[in-house]
Amino acid sequence: MKRLLILVALIARSALGQSAADGPVLRAHAFDSTGSINLYVPAGSVRLVAWTRDSIVVRGEMAKNARLFFGGGRQGVKMGVEGTSRGDSEPSSIVVYMPRGGRISVRTASANIVGEGVSGEFYSSSGNIRLSGIASSVEAESMNGSLDLDLTTPWLRARTGDGHLLVRGAPQDVDASTIGGTLDVIAPKVMRGQFVSVSGDIHWIGSPAHGSVFDFSNHSGAVDLALSASASAAFTLSSVSGPIENGFTRIRPIASPPRTLRFNLGDGDAHVSVRTFKGAIRVRPE
Amino acid sequence: MIEPMTHLTEDERQAAADGTLPADRRALVDAHLAACDECAADVARIAEFMKRTRESTASAPAGAPSLDELWSPIRARIEATKVVALDTAGPSTSTRPFLWLVAAGVAAALVLTTFALRARPRDSQTSVATQVEADSTMLRAVADSTRAYEAEAQILLDRLEIQRATMRPEAKAAIDRNLRTVDVAIAELKDAIARDPRNPALRQLLATSYRQKVELLKRANAG
Repeated sequence: MKRLLILVALIARSALGQSAADGPVLRAHAFDSTGSINLYVPAGSVRLVAWTRDSIVVRGEMAKNARLFFGGGRQGVKMGVEGTSRGDSEPSSIVVYMPRGGRISVRTASANIVGEGVSGEFYSSSGNIRLSGIASSVEAESMNGSLDLDLTTPWLRARTGDGHLLVRGAPQDVDASTIGGTLDVIAPKVMRGQFVSVSGDIHWIGSPAHGSVFDFSNHSGAVDLALSASASAAFTLSSVSGPIENGFTRIRPIASPPRTLRFNLGDGDAHVSVRTFKGAIRVRPE
Repeated sequence: MIEPMTHLTEDERQAAADGTLPADRRALVDAHLAACDECAADVARIAEFMKRTRESTASAPAGAPSLDELWSPIRARIEATKVVALDTAGPSTSTRPFLWLVAAGVAAALVLTTFALRARPRDSQTSVATQVEADSTMLRAVADSTRAYEAEAQILLDRLEIQRATMRPEAKAAIDRNLRTVDVAIAELKDAIARDPRNPALRQLLATSYRQKVELLKRANAG
């Protein structure tokens, strides 16, 4: 009993350390540092913050006629916002503080998701997702929301339909795609990158890391590579019917079969492959 | 006691939709539904969902085989196309290994075709015959992978159709918009491959577009 009281006191003290602007404490719970959280919030906003404590604290403002369901133990928790009415839910604002080494699986309908230093899976039907910080791995998906992923992580997978997808920070292994949304990549530490769209433009800015491998594929959208002066890579660009525009006048192509351009920049110690059906391919100095 | 603004519970909405409300609750729930548009709309949505599910089951002829029974001949047909060898455990809940196997099958077909092209003799008549054979091998490989992806997409489309009744209109619109975009791309690529079957870039782009479609449908079903 004494131990329990101490634990509750510690959790409460941790919770008090959080911003009151996040709203009142809805739940506080002792939690393993590598535990898993499953969270569902239909509408409003979700903010996830990683911390170094072995506990989770949930703060926020619940929508009228909604309640927070919460179940589980130290290793795993399932929680979410449950309305007493169906249809278009009223927005709730939820803030979850969770152990840095834990994983979370978040699903929302229209609620936006913001995460700082959290790892796991993030899904929203129409809400936007913004993640930043250091994570062990991240998978982020939205049907038509925008994704802003500013992460340092060994593995990043991102998908959206016609939302904007921005990949930045220092992810190492990236698999990102859109259907019609624009895909922007400013991530110099990527070692293996696959960037795909059907009709959205893909923009990549920077210098490929030594030994990195990139694969860009687009159907009707453009692929625009803005390369820094220090870029060193072997490029293979091919389009079935789209134009290939070379902004480096000093480049001498290694081979130029129909609709294909191969050339090296610097020592060519990275590999960049671009393929489109009818979208333009542009390579230019940054 | 149910009041108009406290709304029906999930159990009450489900029971109202499928007509299994206890007699002593029915009058109260009906009165609430008459006064509350939100609950009435939700009950109507659930009822529509149940109707669709029943219809999809009822539309099968009497004595129609179950999904498990249907799977064996489907698997046999897929095996017959020699795209990939599937295990005998029935349809997998995870589609990712299936797609990898399809990709591996297509890759193997491409390697064999490339080998055939490199080994092409100089004799012109033999060369033409080998080229025709290589083209038809490539077209078969494309057709095989197309069939496999389309089968996968169809399963997901069927699931999506059942879910549509409970989806919000804007979610449905977004899914339809994205599906149209991918389908237009696939149609253009198929057309281009028919005209230029030896172009490996087209086949890669087609595989990518199909992968996009399957992933989109999985996302839609997950939502």
